[in-house]
Amino acid sequence: MNALYLIAIGLGTAFLLGLLNEQRRDLAYTLTLGALTMMSAISASWLVVFVATGAGAVDIFTAGTRPPFAINLRMGLTEATLTLLINLTGLFAAIHMGEVLLAKGRRAMAVLLIAIMALCGIVLTRDIFNLFVFFELIVIATGGLVLLSDDEHAVSAGFKYLIVSQFISILLLIGIIFGYHATGTLNIDGMAAIGAGGFALAFFLIFIAIVAELKPFPANGWALDIYESAHPGFSAVFSAATGSAALFALDKILAIGGPAWYPVATAIGIVTFVGANLLALPQTNDRRLLGYSSIAQTGLILTVIGQQDILGNQYLFIAGGLLFAHAVAKAGLFWLSDFVAQRELTAWASLKERPLLVFAFVTFAAMLSGLPPFPGFYAKWELVHALAAADRLALLGWILFGALVEAGYLFRWFGYLIKRESDEKVACTAPQVIPVAAAVLAGWALGFVWGDLSGRSNLLLVLPLLFALGFLLIEWAPAWAKNLLAIGGLSFYLLQTWQDYDPLRLIFLVIFTLGGAIIFLASFHAHGRRIGFYPSAMLMFAGLVLLIQATDSFGFFAAWELLTVGSYFLILRGKESEPHALSYIVFSLGGAFLILTAFALANAVSPAPTFEIAALATLAQPVAPWVFLLLALGFMTKTAAIGLHIWLPGAHAEAETDVSPMVSGILLKAGLYGLFVLLMSMGRQSLYGVDLVNMLLWIGALTALLGNLMAIFQEDAKRLLAYSSIGQMGYALFGLALMNHLGWLMALMFVINHYVYKSMLFLSVGGVAKRTGTRAMYRMGGLITLMPLSFIATLIGIIAMSGVPPLSGFGGRWIFYNAIMDAETRLPMVLIFLSGPIAFLYLFRLIHTIFLGQLKDEHRRIKEAPASIVLPQMIYVAILMGVALFPGLILRRVDAYISQFLPDGALNWDGLTITSQYGWWNPVAIMIVVACIFLLIFGWLLFVNRKAQKVKQFNIVFSAERPYRPETTHFAWNFFAPYKKAMGFLVQPFVTRFWGAVTDLLHTAGDLGRRLYNGNGQIYAFHFLAFVVVVFAFKAGL
Amino acid sequence: MAYLAMATGFLLILIGFYGALTNRNLLRMIVAFTIADTGVNIVIVAIGYMRGRTAPILDSTVSAAAAVQRIIDPVPQALVLTAIVIGLGVTALMLAYAYKLYEKKRTLDIARFTELKG
Repeated sequence: MNALYLIAIGLGTAFLLGLLNEQRRDLAYTLTLGALTMMSAISASWLVVFVATGAGAVDIFTAGTRPPFAINLRMGLTEATLTLLINLTGLFAAIHMGEVLLAKGRRAMAVLLIAIMALCGIVLTRDIFNLFVFFELIVIATGGLVLLSDDEHAVSAGFKYLIVSQFISILLLIGIIFGYHATGTLNIDGMAAIGAGGFALAFFLIFIAIVAELKPFPANGWALDIYESAHPGFSAVFSAATGSAALFALDKILAIGGPAWYPVATAIGIVTFVGANLLALPQTNDRRLLGYSSIAQTGLILTVIGQQDILGNQYLFIAGGLLFAHAVAKAGLFWLSDFVAQRELTAWASLKERPLLVFAFVTFAAMLSGLPPFPGFYAKWELVHALAAADRLALLGWILFGALVEAGYLFRWFGYLIKRESDEKVACTAPQVIPVAAAVLAGWALGFVWGDLSGRSNLLLVLPLLFALGFLLIEWAPAWAKNLLAIGGLSFYLLQTWQDYDPLRLIFLVIFTLGGAIIFLASFHAHGRRIGFYPSAMLMFAGLVLLIQATDSFGFFAAWELLTVGSYFLILRGKESEPHALSYIVFSLGGAFLILTAFALANAVSPAPTFEIAALATLAQPVAPWVFLLLALGFMTKTAAIGLHIWLPGAHAEAETDVSPMVSGILLKAGLYGLFVLLMSMGRQSLYGVDLVNMLLWIGALTALLGNLMAIFQEDAKRLLAYSSIGQMGYALFGLALMNHLGWLMALMFVINHYVYKSMLFLSVGGVAKRTGTRAMYRMGGLITLMPLSFIATLIGIIAMSGVPPLSGFGGRWIFYNAIMDAETRLPMVLIFLSGPIAFLYLFRLIHTIFLGQLKDEHRRIKEAPASIVLPQMIYVAILMGVALFPGLILRRVDAYISQFLPDGALNWDGLTITSQYGWWNPVAIMIVVACIFLLIFGWLLFVNRKAQKVKQFNIVFSAERPYRPETTHFAWNFFAPYKKAMGFLVQPFVTRFWGAVTDLLHTAGDLGRRLYNGNGQIYAFHFLAFVVVVFAFKAGL
Repeated sequence: MAYLAMATGFLLILIGFYGALTNRNLLRMIVAFTIADTGVNIVIVAIGYMRGRTAPILDSTVSAAAAVQRIIDPVPQALVLTAIVIGLGVTALMLAYAYKLYEKKRTLDIARFTELKG
């Protein structure tokens, strides 16, 4: 169908509406929807044709002559896609605004039709004056549609918009007429053929006018007011459709200016992206925040337009991916905002009762943040790679910084939605739901299309991810059934794939799958449907197994993001976890961006369509050490190395009982896996003479020391365990960075052991906390008789963890001491030695404070933890015993595998005896010796105490003082006060303060920037003119 | 002649801009914009003007064959017509807005409508 009908139907129907009787509103509304549907169908049919046949663009001539004597329109793949986006946005906006359109009557509908028609016109026309006319139509239509809002401020917002539009249109008109004067044509392609060299000033005016339509920072106060006050149905059009059309218009006219203008576009784009995102940080009004985010996203796409010289044939893929992700998500969010009665971000908490709306929000937020499997993710990947290849690293850095800020405020908002309280009820009407549902579907469909176009693995066809997403479809099922399915899925995956991996990867795989399955046993304690838990958890596990599976950088990074997002949703489920989940996701995404940059840099120096992880080994100076540094930092955000650790304690401690072991016992290993891969492939690197591996060694030692030190001063049992994880990961990092055979073996021992005992301890402490209703240890005590199984698990856990014989921790320690003997660095070694006894200080408190001592009154009737929580603990006890007795079962193979990389210092496995160059160790013999000593002493104690008399708690016959209350008999609070006096200066929250200061700084910057927008429309016009002058000076200076 | 017209046009545009930026009264701002619009229209017409030629109307005095040599460029004149129509539309819309704003606050001072900011 001729594309002219897009204009004709819109315009014709609008006129027809004018002829209708004012009372026939239903008919008018039906006509409007019909016209928009027809227009969408025309665009869709063109799109189908272009995709199916691969045909080139078609020119449509008007007035019977060719340009430059008449206007021509062009319909190509890009135009078809964009007009489809515009028409569908218009259609769903009309559905969304049905009520208000019917109330206001046919005139409002006609204006909406004109707006959509004009937007299509902007996309289609190849005539620059025609472009101007369509832009003016948009101005007038916008001026009308803003008034559909019931917000009384919309009137002043509309007027401010009109003021600035006047300035814009005058500049545009002058530019056009002088451009015509210089070239003798109004046809864009004709002008482009001549080039803007002869009329640079006129072109500048055209350029700046179209740029102004993109609402560049900071000349955009008028647009923000519209976003804030207009009807959300229209704001969606203003953001998604108007923004897209203006971007395409800019792309068209840049063909006239040529590459000389790309840097200008880039500069305006990146300043807008970063500036608008910073100013969005302190916003509290949801629609204004969305406005800032819209402006930022437009800025990002403008940057991409400015970078088209290096993007080659990826240009449309990248720009389109970002554009569609932004348009669909932003339209969806604006429509979604209509379900929320109040305008504060926290008011969105009312949505949490509706899982489907929460899912919609998650979809949109993930699209905007460029997370997999949405188009923005693929676009971000290619963009970063192209920028790295062209050595435009500063721009790359700013883009990632802006993206991180944006993700920060979007996820903070999501935190409000999930965690805050709201009394409002959400009432859904069909016209409100349909557009949101359409946007969600479009988002996922676009994710599929972009995955397909990417030429890489389409994430929406990856089985583990599909399995995880499948849980979304069975959210109605009871938790136990989903739990069974989850356990089955993880076990099945292990059975199917275990043969594919080398011993090292296999260990990680077993921990991720079988380890996950065991922890899921504890999840049987949950009742009801536990909505949201299984998709999140399985998303994390999908990411984890894909991480092991990945051989190229893309797969690795995609898996990394998936596991990050999944674990974020899991962590956010905890009661008080809102701020901690936020700092977790911000740190993790920051780390992920570092990893992405590293891969892009690596790929830039060794170009290949897919960059194999193994090819990291081939990198040379000067890039190699930078890649190493970025990757190491990225992985260390996950292992919570000191300095990057502040998210961990809260995230792990506040998580649900069965989530804590998942994110501690399992998730932390993802970072270690990354470090393993890194060191295996890249080995030692030095930057400016600094041995980076040596740095890691120091970081590991410091992390171990400080993590343990912070743990001993905790009163909260789960926080104690969380800090202990930081210390333990420090040990593992230290072992890896020793770069000798035994160091790696020890790190692997830590991988296994830490999984087992930390999961076990988190479960037992979680079980206790569940029964006692508190996590503060000083409120507990004497639980040994009431919760004996939890006690046994804790006891075994701390024996294993502290590394005393006979349990597996000892094996780890033994290998560890041997590894240290091999190493040359002495000082960090002292730190590591020091942290050993410190670990014992906090571990002993778990037994002493929780299970020994005096029982509290309120705990007299509590029972053992639920069977489902105890069962996995008992499995762990068995595993610990097994690993302690026969460490060779696993370690022997790994030992042989590590010999490929570090042949020296392998262990000698002879029967049950393990020999290193410094000594030998026989786990079975040790077990027997320890058991004998234990039985002897135990027997002796029983013998000498055979006449002992049992004393009840308040039986004071045998004591000197009278304990009135059980609290006073058990002083567990501030237990290590003297130590704190001595060493407290080491555990001052310096790092927390540092990151707090960084966040404050960003907020302050945003707050200062906001003052620019004082609400006065005249000042906004002045901003615009100042912006014109600055850009002109910038261009002149280039 | 053409340069004089063009200079006048630009002068009007500058006067309009100055007026729109310095007058806080909504109506005065709108008037300033119409002055600037007029200036733009004059500039456009001045661009199309060619010395010694006649109006672009084909009749008995100007034949179609001789038109290329004898008439001035008709395109800017067509553009001006469009621009005038659009300018009228926008001005009408702005006046309607000014009326609504006045109804709400009984003032025409632009600096009084600053509830939305930041």
